[in-house]
Amino acid sequence: MSWATTRITLRLRRTGTLSAALGLIAVMAAVGALFPAVGHSIGKLNVPAGVANLLGGADYGTITGWFRSEIAEIYGPLVIAALAITGAAAATAGEEEGRILALVLAHPIRRSRLVAAKAAAVALIVCVVAFAVWIGLIVGVAAGGGGITVGHMTALAVQLGFFGLATGAVAFALGAGTGRRSLAAGGAAAVAILGWLVNSFAPLVGAIAWLKYLTLFYYYAGYDPLARGIGLPGLVVLGVFTIALTAAAMLAFERRDLRG
Amino acid sequence: MSAEAVIVTRGLSKDFGAGRGLFGLDLEVRRGEVFGFLGPNGAGKSTTMRLLLDLIKPTSGSAQVLGLDVSGGSVEIRRRIGFLPGDWALYPKLTGRVVLDYLAELRGGVDQRVRDALVERFDAELDRPIRELSTGNRQKLGLVQAFMHEPELLILDEPIAGLDPLVQQSFHALLREVCALGRTVFLSSHTLSEVERVTDRLAILRQGRLVVVDSLENLRKVAVQRLEIEFAEPVDADEFRALPGVKEVNANGRTVTIGFEGSADPVVKAIAAFHVLAIQPREDDLEDIFLRYYRDAPA
Repeated sequence: MSWATTRITLRLRRTGTLSAALGLIAVMAAVGALFPAVGHSIGKLNVPAGVANLLGGADYGTITGWFRSEIAEIYGPLVIAALAITGAAAATAGEEEGRILALVLAHPIRRSRLVAAKAAAVALIVCVVAFAVWIGLIVGVAAGGGGITVGHMTALAVQLGFFGLATGAVAFALGAGTGRRSLAAGGAAAVAILGWLVNSFAPLVGAIAWLKYLTLFYYYAGYDPLARGIGLPGLVVLGVFTIALTAAAMLAFERRDLRG
Repeated sequence: MSAEAVIVTRGLSKDFGAGRGLFGLDLEVRRGEVFGFLGPNGAGKSTTMRLLLDLIKPTSGSAQVLGLDVSGGSVEIRRRIGFLPGDWALYPKLTGRVVLDYLAELRGGVDQRVRDALVERFDAELDRPIRELSTGNRQKLGLVQAFMHEPELLILDEPIAGLDPLVQQSFHALLREVCALGRTVFLSSHTLSEVERVTDRLAILRQGRLVVVDSLENLRKVAVQRLEIEFAEPVDADEFRALPGVKEVNANGRTVTIGFEGSADPVVKAIAAFHVLAIQPREDDLEDIFLRYYRDAPA
């Protein structure tokens, strides 16, 4: 692997990643601070089951439900997926379309090692965001009066980190395989959003309830980490999925013609 | 492959479909020479270079660089060559210094003194973000990165694009220096004037096929030259058409342009019979060389 490539890829994403991380912490602190005033008064929303699922149960009456609905179901995965997808799509396909990669690959580095170095950079970005989620949870839950254990907050941050890695791996594989940034970003975003929708609605229809097992979102949130802690099977699935897609990206990139 | 050949291609082809690509290229570039690779845009020059760098895979044929097969030995080849792509970019947000540091680390074994000397020679701007640099200043960074590890072979695609005449002069001097040290330069251009001062031999490519490989001196013998002559009085231009070697005559008032091959002697002697106000030589046109070769090609 080329650490020089990892470092420069991180440097290119530094501002965006740190801004997003600080933004996450600020938003989560604000969400926590709002709970005593707003959460109790809303209580559990009486909404259709599909909508409730989209909102992580729509239980605003407890701090766990409040953070599950506000952060774990929507805001957290949205931010981490966005950063993972944009970072992964830019790292290979973006540089290829930007006509940078031909010059980089004129240097003595195997293509697979270049991909590995860029994958490491994207993984580090995801870790930074997941760490920010963990800090944000600690600050936010404290501001909300407490009620969630550090272990469960850690579990959410870890599950979310693995979800980010897996979503980024989709963009990475598409970008490395095709050299098309929009396809990589669009395809990975579609996988993430469809996964979220399917995971929310499929369980309502018995015949297609099994579809949730095909989504990355299920393996992230299905075990309800904020209430129950780490869901190890989910982590294993997301981890294996990430490794498999990164390996596929390396193989595909090694063999094809470079576009830019 | 001769012991002195650093680039050898045999039937090298890359078919992009619709007649585009490179077809059956047989080429040999010798150690220590500056080899010009000429052709109009889309002729297949960049495709050839990208095949040599293993950035794209051939449809058929083979290529060896520095004695190594381009597919199996590409990492070792890239360790020993310097490459400047024709259509390239660098990270726009980063400064030239950061990018050169990165590329030097990626390559390894770069002597900082050599790099500094190149930066000074080309007066390259290192401390501004690349997005703020002009095309010429970006090209200088490209040249520095291609030369900074003192490679055995330089593959340069349109290297002087965007460079001002002073930097071009400096670049040509550098080419002569590296060749004097026994290193080889393989450079492409779409205009003859860009390479004629530095190349030992050149190849002309057109529509993906090799038209000719020869020395510049031999190619000039068949090139069409043009003289634009301004007469004091209108003349009958048809008088010049029958002169030996004359291929075309165009008259515009008192100005006549005569295109001819070979010696200029018959033309000069013929116009001497008139009152000539000015004579302006016109650059040899590469396209005319192509046309000449097509005309002479057996049916």
